[in-house]
Amino acid sequence: MAENAERSEETLYKPSPKSIEREKQAMEEEPIEDLSSLLLPNLNDLPQNPPTAVEFNFSRYFLPDFTKPGHDQYIYRHANGLCVIGLAQAHVALKEEGGVTAVDFNVGKSDRSELKVTGKRKRNAQHFESNSALCKVCTNDNFYIVRCCVKGSLLEVNDRLIKQPGLLNSSADREGYVAIIMPKQGDWLKIKDSLLSYEDYVKLRGLL
Amino acid sequence: MTSPGPAIEWQTALGNAKLCLPPSHVIRDLLSTGVCVRCIFRLSGIHDRDCYISPINESELISFLEEQNEIECNSTTITNCCVCLGVLCPSCVVPEKSGADLRERSSVNELALLISDMVKGEQYQIDEFSLEVSLPPVITANERALRLYLKQKYEKEQWFKDTFLRVHISVKDTLKLVLNASLENYLAVQNVETLSSSFRIRLTYSHSETSQKLQSMLPNGHDSKKREKGSRENGSSKNCNEPDASAYRVLELIEDQNFCSQFQVPPGKVDKPCQLVVACCRTPTYIGGRYLKYSRNVSQSRWIIDDERMGETSVEEIIGENVRQICQGDGYKFHSAGREDIDVRMLGSGRPFLVEVSNSRIVPSSTEIEQISDKINHTDKQLVGVKNLKLVGAEAWDLMREGEAEKQKQYAALVWISRPLNVDDVCNLTSLKDMEISQKTPIRVLHRRSPLERSKVIHWMKIEKVEGTTQYFLLHLCTQAGTYIKEFVHGDLGRTHPSIGSILGCRAEILQLDVTDVKMDYFD
Repeated sequence: MAENAERSEETLYKPSPKSIEREKQAMEEEPIEDLSSLLLPNLNDLPQNPPTAVEFNFSRYFLPDFTKPGHDQYIYRHANGLCVIGLAQAHVALKEEGGVTAVDFNVGKSDRSELKVTGKRKRNAQHFESNSALCKVCTNDNFYIVRCCVKGSLLEVNDRLIKQPGLLNSSADREGYVAIIMPKQGDWLKIKDSLLSYEDYVKLRGLL
Repeated sequence: MTSPGPAIEWQTALGNAKLCLPPSHVIRDLLSTGVCVRCIFRLSGIHDRDCYISPINESELISFLEEQNEIECNSTTITNCCVCLGVLCPSCVVPEKSGADLRERSSVNELALLISDMVKGEQYQIDEFSLEVSLPPVITANERALRLYLKQKYEKEQWFKDTFLRVHISVKDTLKLVLNASLENYLAVQNVETLSSSFRIRLTYSHSETSQKLQSMLPNGHDSKKREKGSRENGSSKNCNEPDASAYRVLELIEDQNFCSQFQVPPGKVDKPCQLVVACCRTPTYIGGRYLKYSRNVSQSRWIIDDERMGETSVEEIIGENVRQICQGDGYKFHSAGREDIDVRMLGSGRPFLVEVSNSRIVPSSTEIEQISDKINHTDKQLVGVKNLKLVGAEAWDLMREGEAEKQKQYAALVWISRPLNVDDVCNLTSLKDMEISQKTPIRVLHRRSPLERSKVIHWMKIEKVEGTTQYFLLHLCTQAGTYIKEFVHGDLGRTHPSIGSILGCRAEILQLDVTDVKMDYFD
């Protein structure tokens, strides 16, 4: 199990030095009574579009054409080492007429949605290779295999996709994630350099 | 220190004691076997302390019993009693700490002096003390061997049949009887018999020579070989706590016949007296209160990864170190009722906490408590604050833990949504009371916590608009203990549902979180 360096579990947006000063002053004057003034933010610190939880807490990596052309996938890696796997924006399945209609986790030798991982030590987690199949994504005319992308233990699959395959059409980058994998530090480092950053992926596919 | 002055007291005391003592031929026998005068007194059930502190020696005792002459003051000549192994003859005890020189200690007062010097040297402030004595099991075996010997030899005699051996006082009790009064004198505080004082003086006696022999003699052949090996390697009997307990158990179970075949009856003489280690320690001191955390860069407990510290400092260190310093303790442990992330402030009522100080040299009074409070609350950087600081008892720990899962917590979160907030949204959220949500273990802690789905309750929510914005608002909410607030706002990729985003039908992000109230009756 990867005992990774935990840089931060999830730190939030940090206020500017000016507002820290202001907060301090407010506290010195009336520490208890002015709880409400402590809580209100300084307008100058509020960005129009704050970073999303995914942007803030994960490093986003992309694998274009993974094992097959057009099979673009993403890996969101958390500081604690866990990797969220999913379909990237330009995956062919998402471009089809009608989009994704069904998701089936019964691929390879087992039904991935049947796994039961328990305990802190994540016993019973199955080990997969980077090209092991996670699930089958079906459209009106085709189906596509989604793969692990990184070698590691499978902790969880997003079984909501079974009842709501439409999540892949509406938010493949968030609620439509496919699985969570826990790779060993060594296995992650092996593939890290071959991955694209968000900016590079966007450029490559001509998005935005 | 002996002085000729109290000779009269001793004479009277001994005169009274004579009634309890066995006939002189028995005393001669005991003395020649190697039993010390004090052991003879205690086996006879003599409770008068003056008898024990009188420096009467063997020949004087004989002459006193047989001729009732005046007693001269001489130190005892039996060293290394075969029963108590020198424990009751303070002139024989060699405190390990005194180093190489074997100083002659001519009375129990010198031992008491040594102990009280140690207590004062450490600068302990005490109101009372308890004396704990730990003796090697071989002394119990010796006692038993002596009793069996006396029984075999004298059971037909009248004096034996009457009361002897039913009245005897243990070595431990005798030592305490003798020592406590002197200690009370030197330390100028009361002794508390039943170990209920927070300040403990522990006397650990050990006798490696006979203890090793005892271990090898005990029935558990293969076990004793292991222990023998262990004690040979270390020499001291300090590592023999487990073997001690089992030795006592085995001794209890052995039948007299069996015992006599294994052990020397009466007990054999020994070359060296016991070794003594004196230690004193206070039971943990507890200081409790509530803390506030004003900084978003201070973790609750010390957080270091790969030699690098996370955050500026920790609540634990700021409070714990200040408490420890003023209590003059050796170390501290910090406990709290729950915790918050490094970037989450703890405001409002504050969070209950407990600091456990080990071996504090002083027990803080309200002045010292105020000192601690001031020190923490008036540092240059106001990172942490404390309130309601006070000295509490050990039960505070349980009180804090009790019902922790039931306690409600209140928060204020700065939320952004992907479209402007409207009136319906506000009504929507504020109308939800005691709403149940389901949270899969958040991804950010999934690496170290079990993958479970936990059901939590959001008791109520209130919206406070932020002037000058349409997509930001302050969400005040009251939830069940153990709820992950950040995940409730952004949904954790749909693994927490419902979430603010799912309820409002848009994307929601959390920018800031503050804990505004931890509802707990205690520590208020």
